[in-house]
Amino acid sequence: MSAVVSREHAAPHHGAHEHEHHEVPYAVALRANRLGLWVFCFSELFLFGALLASRFALWGNTRPELSQGLGLITTSVLLLSSFFMARAESAIAHDDRPTFLRSLLWTVGLGTLFFIGVVVMEWNVFGLEANLLGIELFGHLKLTDGAFGAIFFGMTGVHAIHVLSGIILILIVWNNGRRGHYNAEQHWGVEACAVYWHYVDVVWVFFYPALYLIGQAVHL
Amino acid sequence: MQQKKAAVYRQGIYVLIGLAILTILEFVVSGATNGSAPLLFIIALIKTGLIANYFMHIYRLWREESH
Repeated sequence: MSAVVSREHAAPHHGAHEHEHHEVPYAVALRANRLGLWVFCFSELFLFGALLASRFALWGNTRPELSQGLGLITTSVLLLSSFFMARAESAIAHDDRPTFLRSLLWTVGLGTLFFIGVVVMEWNVFGLEANLLGIELFGHLKLTDGAFGAIFFGMTGVHAIHVLSGIILILIVWNNGRRGHYNAEQHWGVEACAVYWHYVDVVWVFFYPALYLIGQAVHL
Repeated sequence: MQQKKAAVYRQGIYVLIGLAILTILEFVVSGATNGSAPLLFIIALIKTGLIANYFMHIYRLWREESH
């Protein structure tokens, strides 16, 4: 990754052939970087797969009664953030910098909303109670609610950490983009960040039905 | 260039609509089948396919050219 990043950053300041003799060609490094990133994604599958397996081992065909409205809203927000991340990558691939920067900020905003939806509202860290149009806005499941609490907080917690790290990465990419880095030909940093963010989204695509939809709801 | 860019942006919107429809379908299927795991995981796999192909561009792994 370092070779590609250094070329991305060096591009505005140096001639195209200046470092050719000492660096791996961009296309070759790009292929290696892509493979490395996907290997990382697959290695993360073991972590998320284990959590998913624990859910089925401990909950079986049951699940705790959660706010269906809140689950659907947070899931939709995360899917929408993935759309804006894809739009940001497409924009820089076409040298459309304003759309690129704007879309990144939308992704950060929606990612933050998802994080708040899970950590503040679903976890209900402030112990609040509220309804909006019949949708229960704050969860009631506690960490001490046996296997239900342990699995729910474990799965959403590990995922939320990934969301948070994704938001930080996107902000770094946004700051680099604002300073003129990346262009249509060389934007590995943007692509890597986008793949990571979509990966976090894919994990939630499986976590959402596992936590909110599969099995018989149990009232605690 | 402008047309190509517009087509790529449009494709993103179509994928988002597809994902939204599948998410609503998940919600409906859950209510109708009492939370059938196989059906819900099939829908999740379709959603993953859409994201991996159109957003993550997994096909770039076995392609020679750059971005």
